[in-house]
Amino acid sequence: MESQKTSVLYALKQQLRAIRLLHRICPGYFPTLFLYCLTAALSPYATVYCSARILSELAGARQAAALWTWAAITVAVIGLLQILKALFCQRKDTLLDDLFDRKDILFVRKMFSMDYASLEDREIQDLRAQLQQNEGWSGWGLMRTPQIFEEGVQAVIGICSGIALTVPLFLQPVPDSAGGLTLLNHPVFILLLAAVLLGISALGGRWESRVLHGWSSVRAEATFGNRVFGFFGFIGLHTGRAADMRIYGQQRLVDAYWNGNSVFGCDGPVAAAMAKARAGIYAGLSQAIFAVLTGLIYVFVCLKAWGGAFDIGAVTQYVGAVTALAMNVYGVWVRVGEMRTNCGYLDQTFQFLDLPNAMYQGSLTTEKRSDRQYEVEFRHVSFRYPGSENWALQDVSLKFEIGKRLAIVGENGSGKTTFIKLLCRLYDPQEGQILLNGIDIRKYSYRDYMQIFSVVFQDFQLLSQSLGSNVAGTLEYDRARVRRALEDAGLGERLQTMPQGLDTQLYKDFAENGVEISGGEAQKIAIARALYKNAPFIILDEPTAALDPIAEADIYSRFNEIAGDRTAIYISHRLSSCKFCDEIAVFDQGHIVQRGSHEALLQDSSGLYRRLWDAQAQYYVTESHGSDSRQGSMVPPP
Amino acid sequence: MRADKSTYHVFQNVAWMCSLAWKHRRRVLFFCGLSAALEILYQLIQLFLAPRILTLVEEAAALQTLLGTIALFTAALFALRFGRGYLEQIDLFARIDVRSVIIGLLGRKCNTTSYPNTLKPEFIKLRDVAHTASDGNQEATEQIWHTLTELCKNVGGFAVYLTILSHLDPILLLVTIATCLAGFWIARRTSGWIYRHRDEEEAYITRKRYIHRVAESVPVAKDIRIFGLQNWINDLYASVHDVYLAFRLRAEKVKLLAELTEAVLTMARNGIAYGYLIQMALLEHLSVGEFLLYFTAISTFTQWVMGILQASLKLHTQSLDISRVREFLDYPEPFRFSGGAALPDRRPYELTLEDVSFRYDGAETDTLRHLNLSIRPGEKLAIVGLNGAGKTTLVKLLCGLLDPTEGRVLLNGVDVRQFNRQEYYGLFSAVFQEFSILNVTIAENIAQNTANIDDARVNACIDQAGLTQAVAQLPQGAQTYVGREVFLDGVLFSGGQTQLLMLARALYKDSPILILDEPTAALDPLAENDIYLKYNDMTAGKTSLFISHRLASTRFCDRIILLADGGIAEEGTHESLLAAGGAYASLFAVQSRYYQEGREF
Repeated sequence: MESQKTSVLYALKQQLRAIRLLHRICPGYFPTLFLYCLTAALSPYATVYCSARILSELAGARQAAALWTWAAITVAVIGLLQILKALFCQRKDTLLDDLFDRKDILFVRKMFSMDYASLEDREIQDLRAQLQQNEGWSGWGLMRTPQIFEEGVQAVIGICSGIALTVPLFLQPVPDSAGGLTLLNHPVFILLLAAVLLGISALGGRWESRVLHGWSSVRAEATFGNRVFGFFGFIGLHTGRAADMRIYGQQRLVDAYWNGNSVFGCDGPVAAAMAKARAGIYAGLSQAIFAVLTGLIYVFVCLKAWGGAFDIGAVTQYVGAVTALAMNVYGVWVRVGEMRTNCGYLDQTFQFLDLPNAMYQGSLTTEKRSDRQYEVEFRHVSFRYPGSENWALQDVSLKFEIGKRLAIVGENGSGKTTFIKLLCRLYDPQEGQILLNGIDIRKYSYRDYMQIFSVVFQDFQLLSQSLGSNVAGTLEYDRARVRRALEDAGLGERLQTMPQGLDTQLYKDFAENGVEISGGEAQKIAIARALYKNAPFIILDEPTAALDPIAEADIYSRFNEIAGDRTAIYISHRLSSCKFCDEIAVFDQGHIVQRGSHEALLQDSSGLYRRLWDAQAQYYVTESHGSDSRQGSMVPPP
Repeated sequence: MRADKSTYHVFQNVAWMCSLAWKHRRRVLFFCGLSAALEILYQLIQLFLAPRILTLVEEAAALQTLLGTIALFTAALFALRFGRGYLEQIDLFARIDVRSVIIGLLGRKCNTTSYPNTLKPEFIKLRDVAHTASDGNQEATEQIWHTLTELCKNVGGFAVYLTILSHLDPILLLVTIATCLAGFWIARRTSGWIYRHRDEEEAYITRKRYIHRVAESVPVAKDIRIFGLQNWINDLYASVHDVYLAFRLRAEKVKLLAELTEAVLTMARNGIAYGYLIQMALLEHLSVGEFLLYFTAISTFTQWVMGILQASLKLHTQSLDISRVREFLDYPEPFRFSGGAALPDRRPYELTLEDVSFRYDGAETDTLRHLNLSIRPGEKLAIVGLNGAGKTTLVKLLCGLLDPTEGRVLLNGVDVRQFNRQEYYGLFSAVFQEFSILNVTIAENIAQNTANIDDARVNACIDQAGLTQAVAQLPQGAQTYVGREVFLDGVLFSGGQTQLLMLARALYKDSPILILDEPTAALDPLAENDIYLKYNDMTAGKTSLFISHRLASTRFCDRIILLADGGIAEEGTHESLLAAGGAYASLFAVQSRYYQEGREF
């Protein structure tokens, strides 16, 4: 991402915000990580310092007692640090594994509270998909910050301890006896050494950042490549595709896209871009440059030792300390570059998390009425989907009569489902008003308003959880009421055969002992959920599309019981359902073109309803096989 | 728990991977060898660097010698570090190429294996494990190169160091190796524990993913809002993560035990090495340089030994995964996919079911029992029955996706099993309820090819299916991608439009036998009627099989069979079945009574 213009301060601010968010989800992680960094950063210096003491003793007096003491201390200190490091390391890894998935609750919560309109908005969906792909593609975004934190903190601690071990290098002068080499005592060498160290680390860091930047710059190709990989490479995992795969020889198409898109291979665009960015060369150079640094440090330290400033045990300490120091300075450089790159990804993350809710939410509470006298009215309502130029609904006015059944019919795409979405305030209309008991529904509290609707959407969703929880929508529930709702929805008999009754797990996605249920059974469970909620409005959207005639007739015949004294709305392509509704609204291209009872609408021989009805009914009514006389006794076989 | 037994052993799997690499990307093998060599050299230079220079300082050698030596070492380090960094950066692409080849093989196996395999739990399990072993950079089919590099490097380093250390006390080396082996034994127990608990861990991860998918799903979002499911899903979310965390804490204990043992062993090793070398220094006047050389050499030697042990352990685990990949690729095929009898090259085709019974794997009863059916060339057959009566199973038997458990399916008198199955599929066009529309263009989906697409015919089929208006509205028309999983500018078709797209595809294929399984379930009355009206045109000159719950559709067919209790309960034309007043007549009555005028309910 555009790291060139991002200031370090801003980048740091964004990472800190990410850290705060993650810290709230898992408060133990960052403290553990810090302790780990501390032990990990100190370990190499402790080793360098202790072993230098042994070597100094060897180079000097070679006193057995001192040697044994230092050897014991060295072994103990290294061992202790290793133990501490292992403890913290294991715990931070455990917590990171947990945090990695748990942090998605941030997005889940956001999606729970977001306007439904935003949720269906393609740009916002793309943004969310992009965030996931960034994470999948070399882990950019929120979860990059623990890594930056870990390495950044280690580098900073390393620099501090490195400096502490390096200071004596300059405090011990070359004795005058060494002649010309006393020049090395001049303070300018401190600056010189610091400059060389900073310069080389910076150069290494810069080259490393170029590599990192190279990877980041192919993000578009890479995320596309990951999508190709995921779709065409793993399409065989979808059992439902298997029949078409064979009948239509789809392997041919899969091959064409899979083989033509080896985005990550040697001949792919990612490798080409990385070659163009000379990523290999820079990666090599950023590593190799430290050899130069090591050489220069050796020269300086050895010259001082050669001149007699200190013994050769100290040489190992200084070389070790300065080299480690340089690596840590380099580490800071790299981390700064990484932070800037990640900043762009974090901006996207926060853009998503900070999405404003445009929908006005009032505070009025809906009256709790046991008589269900909730009157809803559409008044000149027009609506178009965000980004669309066409009206999905235009100038729709309709008043629901309390306790009556309304059927909604029309062709695919005529606005039926949109109408329901507006009624349930999943969207707000651009023009006109929807009123509840005379007050604009926007003035009610959203949660309260939602209380008055039960909807079985065409694409209703049951979770792979227990049957009872699915009906109640909670972990704990009133078992007797749930059972009654299931019986009312017509699932009573099936419930008897469920292995664990209400506790039976549905589907196998969550647990392998789950029970597969048919489409018709799922439909009834969804209806039971609507009944359990016991809301004054009940809305059924295409509930019988996948059902056989008997199951369909079963739903039809139960409809009156299901609706009870509620206001009911029934959407269906099966116009037969209009027969048991009090009123029918016919939608055509966003308008309500006809309203009235079935009988009245059929009278209008040029109306759309008549056309729809005839299209379907012709096959059933023109027959006159004398079956009429028998229909009364027609009981469907179970 | 995962079984540790596998069909192929480590050497076979390494050989298999190497031969794949040799065939597709030789540089993978070359890089492995090169980076191992670089690493050994680098360690050697590192080993001699400090002792050599310290000795020069200690001996107060000439400044030129000192500076020259430092320069020489610096140059060598520079070159080796460069090589290492360079290789690390570029070896990825070649390795991905080899893994892609394996994914391609797995995909081909999935997509072309005998259809009944795709329904077998054993096959599905193996399929999932094989894919998991290839679905990321960290998985066995890519990581094995890293492991092999490590192994080469450590074996090489071990050999070199053994010669350097050969004049030290062999007891020291033996003790060092012994502590390594002890550490390894613990590490192996840990990795064994993790491997044995992989199924358990995967189950937890599957649950996490499932709940996460649900929580972020847009269709679920509607239900969440209407039914106030937020708290329930929050609770589920927290609980699946808590369960996983508890598992990870258990694993942590096992890992920690190994780490702590390793720390104690390291202390012992360091203590012994210091003790031995200090003794030598005190008694035999070892120089500082030599002391440093030997100490570094002993520590590094330990690393080589540990490295060899750990790499073999990893190789063993990865080999188990690769073995699964190969077992999946080898999974036996009951269908014939090569050779076989030649298909009758011209119409008419007559299909016959001869005393066919069928039972799904693991089911307790037969779905179909001793069923006999003969479909005349060009006949339009409707198949009706309740959900679960076996209608879809029947057509899958006819089109060769399933083979009967008993009895035979015959094409013009020849058992279908005699033919090359892929060629046999060429005889069928189908619209199934479970379908596969790919994220490729509309035209490619219809033509089922990327090249040689007959655009005029594509448009004709779009038109015949009644999808012209929907396609015309798209800026790129038939060149628009379907779905947005790969191409983000794709079109999302509604359920009804998808059905029409599948119909267009079936028409384009123009096979002699057409199968339509509930093709109008998601269509509105006008679109549905439109299909009915065109049905005769679409099926002209073809044999057709039509499954529908809409009994209105069956009257366009020459013959209707009603399936019940695993067999054909009734058979005849619409009129004759109504007249017979049996199950078909009552189904029709149930459906039609709401369409009768003047009836109240």
